[in-house]
Amino acid sequence: MDGDAAHSMEAEREMTRLWRTFRTVYELLADRGYEVSDNELALPLAEFREKYSDSLGFVERSKMKIQARPTELMKMKYTPLPSKANPNPQPDCGTIYVDFCPDASGVGTKQVRAFNHLVDENNFHTGIFITQTPISPSAVRLLSGVPGRICEHFQEQDLLVNITRHELVPKHVLLSPEEKAKLLERYRLKESQLPRIQVSDPVARYLGLRRGQVVKIIRKSETAGRYASYRWVI
Amino acid sequence: MAAQQGPNALKTSLPEAYAAMNAQQPPPSYTHPSQEQQDKYLQGRPGATQHHLEVALQHAQQIQTQKDAEDVILNHILDLLDLPSSPSANPATPDIEDTNKFKGALIPFRPSDYDNLILERNYGDLCGYTLCPRKHRKQKPGAGGGFQFKYGPKGSGPGGRGRSVDIVPQDQVEKWCSDACAERALWIRVQLSEEPVWERRGDNTRGTNILLLEEARAKRLLAPAATGTVSAVVDDLNNLMLANPDRSRELAVERGDTSSVNRNGRVPITLQENAGKQRAEAPQMRPDDVAGGSIEGYVPRQDRAVDEDGDIDLFDQI
Repeated sequence: MDGDAAHSMEAEREMTRLWRTFRTVYELLADRGYEVSDNELALPLAEFREKYSDSLGFVERSKMKIQARPTELMKMKYTPLPSKANPNPQPDCGTIYVDFCPDASGVGTKQVRAFNHLVDENNFHTGIFITQTPISPSAVRLLSGVPGRICEHFQEQDLLVNITRHELVPKHVLLSPEEKAKLLERYRLKESQLPRIQVSDPVARYLGLRRGQVVKIIRKSETAGRYASYRWVI
Repeated sequence: MAAQQGPNALKTSLPEAYAAMNAQQPPPSYTHPSQEQQDKYLQGRPGATQHHLEVALQHAQQIQTQKDAEDVILNHILDLLDLPSSPSANPATPDIEDTNKFKGALIPFRPSDYDNLILERNYGDLCGYTLCPRKHRKQKPGAGGGFQFKYGPKGSGPGGRGRSVDIVPQDQVEKWCSDACAERALWIRVQLSEEPVWERRGDNTRGTNILLLEEARAKRLLAPAATGTVSAVVDDLNNLMLANPDRSRELAVERGDTSSVNRNGRVPITLQENAGKQRAEAPQMRPDDVAGGSIEGYVPRQDRAVDEDGDIDLFDQI
């Protein structure tokens, strides 16, 4: 009886943790500009438990799959400026797919290969692979090596809390190619003269930034009220 | 839709499949631009010269080789996960075909890549030694589990099973199926070259002639047993032929002293001797110097016959 109680308590803990991660994923998608409904953003724990638990009360990760389409605003931000060679550019974004890996340990090339295959087969533009433990170095290479697709990896514990909601993290806003061109013209800069931010930066990873984009960072300032700075993603 | 058919037509996640498809296409134009493209590029940039462009291209090509080499290594790791080919293979007497495949695939590896291979095999529930078909061992929890020891009174520690200390980290022990396989796998590891494959030179043979532990042992048995007599040692030294320049160069390469090997390396070095200076001459005696001469215009008093006030000092007389 005692064992049963401990058992269910453990299941409950895992359920709560995973619910938090799941909600952060929805917030992440919404912040990146994908279509996410208000219901999904404010998913209560009870509903999550009902939907994704197995008969023993444990979470069934294989059921937790998310797909989302980009909004018009996001498509606009990801459309490159028209050029002579490409007068009618298409937005470089598409349906995103999020998968939770059910394996509790030892996530290597096998699982990543299956994930890559899935993303490729269903023609998703972007894939997010979420695991419980770190994945092996070869798996990281394999994940980033699919041409024409963007595959990202997060650990469940990385998404337990939404880092961009922390009071010390300023607001990061991605600039569209037109806004970037205007900024460079206004300050008479080359993009390489901007301050930089790494692609591996936690906020850059959260927003899924790509090399060459520019983010506007809006901080609170005691003297000026709001202070905006710009960073070039490298 | 036709535009989408490009890289997306391939429904696989195997990097080598993409590599094979890329090999059919001509190499990407950005690493090997034609003369026209180079001229066009230079026109838009008044400060840049052909030399700048060549340097930039050389670096771009180097980075591309590096990426290609890393892809090759990743493919080899994925290939080696499927070895040995039969589930009943014996790691002590491996199949010749498997052995050759294993050795061939290891050539571009660094020890860290080999560690990745071991990790990958463990994740696939296999022994870390590539030619062994068994599962890797699991440490038994509790007493007698192996590399742990217990202390403290009964009923202490978590779960009342006594406190325990791991002597060897668990993941180190659990990499292999047995100690024999651990020895075999680590014997391979020490033979790998630390140098990344894109920096190796043609005459660096380290990491290319890999021997399995069994082969190395058989070789050692075949070799004539070392004799302890002085004459044998002298003979051996003579056999080394240290005076022979070819042999000593080989020995230098063996030690890792490659400075002579680098002579025709990538950087063109032209030695320029400074123009010979005139030979320094010894100073010659001048007539004044007999008495010692003056020191920067001052004539020491001892050498003066007459004092400043015109008479001869008594002290000097004494």
